[in-house]
Amino acid sequence: MSAAVNPAAVPAGPHRAVGQEPVAVVGVGQTRHVSARHDVSIAGLLREAAVRALEDAELTWADIDAVVIGKAPDFFEGVMMPELYLAEALGAVSKPMLRVHTAGSVGGSTALVAANLVAARVHGTVLTVAFEKQSESNAMWGLSLPVPFQAPLTAGAGGFFAPHVRAYMRRTGAPDHIGSLVAFKDRRNALKNPYAHLHEHDLTLEKVRSAPMLWDPIRYSETCPSSDGACAMVLTGVRGAARAPRPAAWMHGGAMRSEPTIFAGKDYVSPQAGRDCAADVYHQAGVVDPRRQIDLAEIYVPFSWYEPMWLENLGFADQGEGWKLVESGVTEMDGDLPVNPSGGVLSSNPIGASGMIRFAEAALQVRGEAGEHQIDGARLALGHAYGGGAQFFSMWLVGSERPDS
Amino acid sequence: MSDVQNPAVLSAPLVVEFPFTRSTGPVVGAFLTGLRERVVLGIRGSDGRVLCPPAEYDPVTAAELDQLVALPGTGTVTTWAWNERPRPYQPLDRPFAWALVRLDGADTALLHALDAPPPDSGDPRAVRTGLRVAVRWADRRTGAITDIACFEPLADGSGSAGGER
Repeated sequence: MSAAVNPAAVPAGPHRAVGQEPVAVVGVGQTRHVSARHDVSIAGLLREAAVRALEDAELTWADIDAVVIGKAPDFFEGVMMPELYLAEALGAVSKPMLRVHTAGSVGGSTALVAANLVAARVHGTVLTVAFEKQSESNAMWGLSLPVPFQAPLTAGAGGFFAPHVRAYMRRTGAPDHIGSLVAFKDRRNALKNPYAHLHEHDLTLEKVRSAPMLWDPIRYSETCPSSDGACAMVLTGVRGAARAPRPAAWMHGGAMRSEPTIFAGKDYVSPQAGRDCAADVYHQAGVVDPRRQIDLAEIYVPFSWYEPMWLENLGFADQGEGWKLVESGVTEMDGDLPVNPSGGVLSSNPIGASGMIRFAEAALQVRGEAGEHQIDGARLALGHAYGGGAQFFSMWLVGSERPDS
Repeated sequence: MSDVQNPAVLSAPLVVEFPFTRSTGPVVGAFLTGLRERVVLGIRGSDGRVLCPPAEYDPVTAAELDQLVALPGTGTVTTWAWNERPRPYQPLDRPFAWALVRLDGADTALLHALDAPPPDSGDPRAVRTGLRVAVRWADRRTGAITDIACFEPLADGSGSAGGER
């Protein structure tokens, strides 16, 4: 095992705490992610995903006990606290409604807050929705706010993460072309996903490698797009799952971890919070060998090189070995650990929704409902998100079987 | 030494633009387009009430709403707050009231400025709850809430049409 685990970060004792309600995903809905949805309001965008999740679960607004929504920073659209006006659109009038924020990981942590409400038996059935309407402003410049006492060197998230990619390459000796392999894979996977933003039918590996350099070593083609989109899930317990018309995805483990943006000794290449979060989730699920036991992973990869970096951080590869899994095709759709069969964040990035899409795609896979990008025999899948300066992590493992079965 | 004590300060202009776009959707979009044409639109909710400004989704049932209703430009003040010292960029440059106005035919009220004499003036047109008012349209209308320049008292307190300037 590569991941050095901080023992204090992992609770001892039983896997999922005794007495918790098993949590089932019985409905999933997404918008078709595109660069601009000028035809709908923010409310209309969320509504579309929420209605599709309800339809998938064959439920109505009346069946929902609480609504948990998430999005990335409010200045991405310039609407402060949009949740103030979203209650009617999400059928939340006279029900509890919460809003979660953990930067880019928010889609994942929003799903986990909703899941924990079900697990704790606070609510029976919870609707969770995450979104971003990037066309309403410009997230790249929104992420370029000056940090006090620092030289204003960055332009967008790529400017922040590029040096960490370079550090990974230097640390591991990974050859230059690994990033392009990830980008080419994810964009081809997206062709099988009708909801993906980018459908680049004419893309070739050569085109990926010759794209303009944006933030050295990250090329334009190795960067996520700006998308308008929303994702929703209906989460419920054992009784709700028994009534569901289609197979449920069951949560086998879920965790969040945080650390500061900057501190002495922070490992940007493989943050401790990410390693601890993964270790906690695997512990809950009884996973001791993630590479062997987990069938596929939907990992938050906004820049191509983050696939090998997170493969190591998540314990799928030993340190310095992640890029070899990429190079040998292990993470391809037909590899033994497919990563981002949906096309991933590299093919669709409605920021606040991107984490929830990872969680939802993992759920679709173990439900056997992923359509053309279905991985045959998927029984256990990881959904992963990270956000901020590689400092907020949220993950869940979902399976086709009930965790207590 | 003098360079250190009196360093020449280099400067360069830097204008950062951070524009926002609003996609208004079918209901708020219709409302704003209506204002440009001097029509105030409300919307009928599932319980039959007319909501103005219009809501995209029903506050009771969460249903999608689409039954737009054209309302007259007259209504009644339901509550108000006097603004003695207007600030720059507020709708009027003299003392005015912020008022909730329930337009005739609507069941909910719209917030806007009211150009009326102060509450203690003794003027029959002075701001008060129950005052009958009418829309004063802006000369240049662009499809924004500011297409309503403000509300103004109806001269005779009846329901006749509002003034225009």
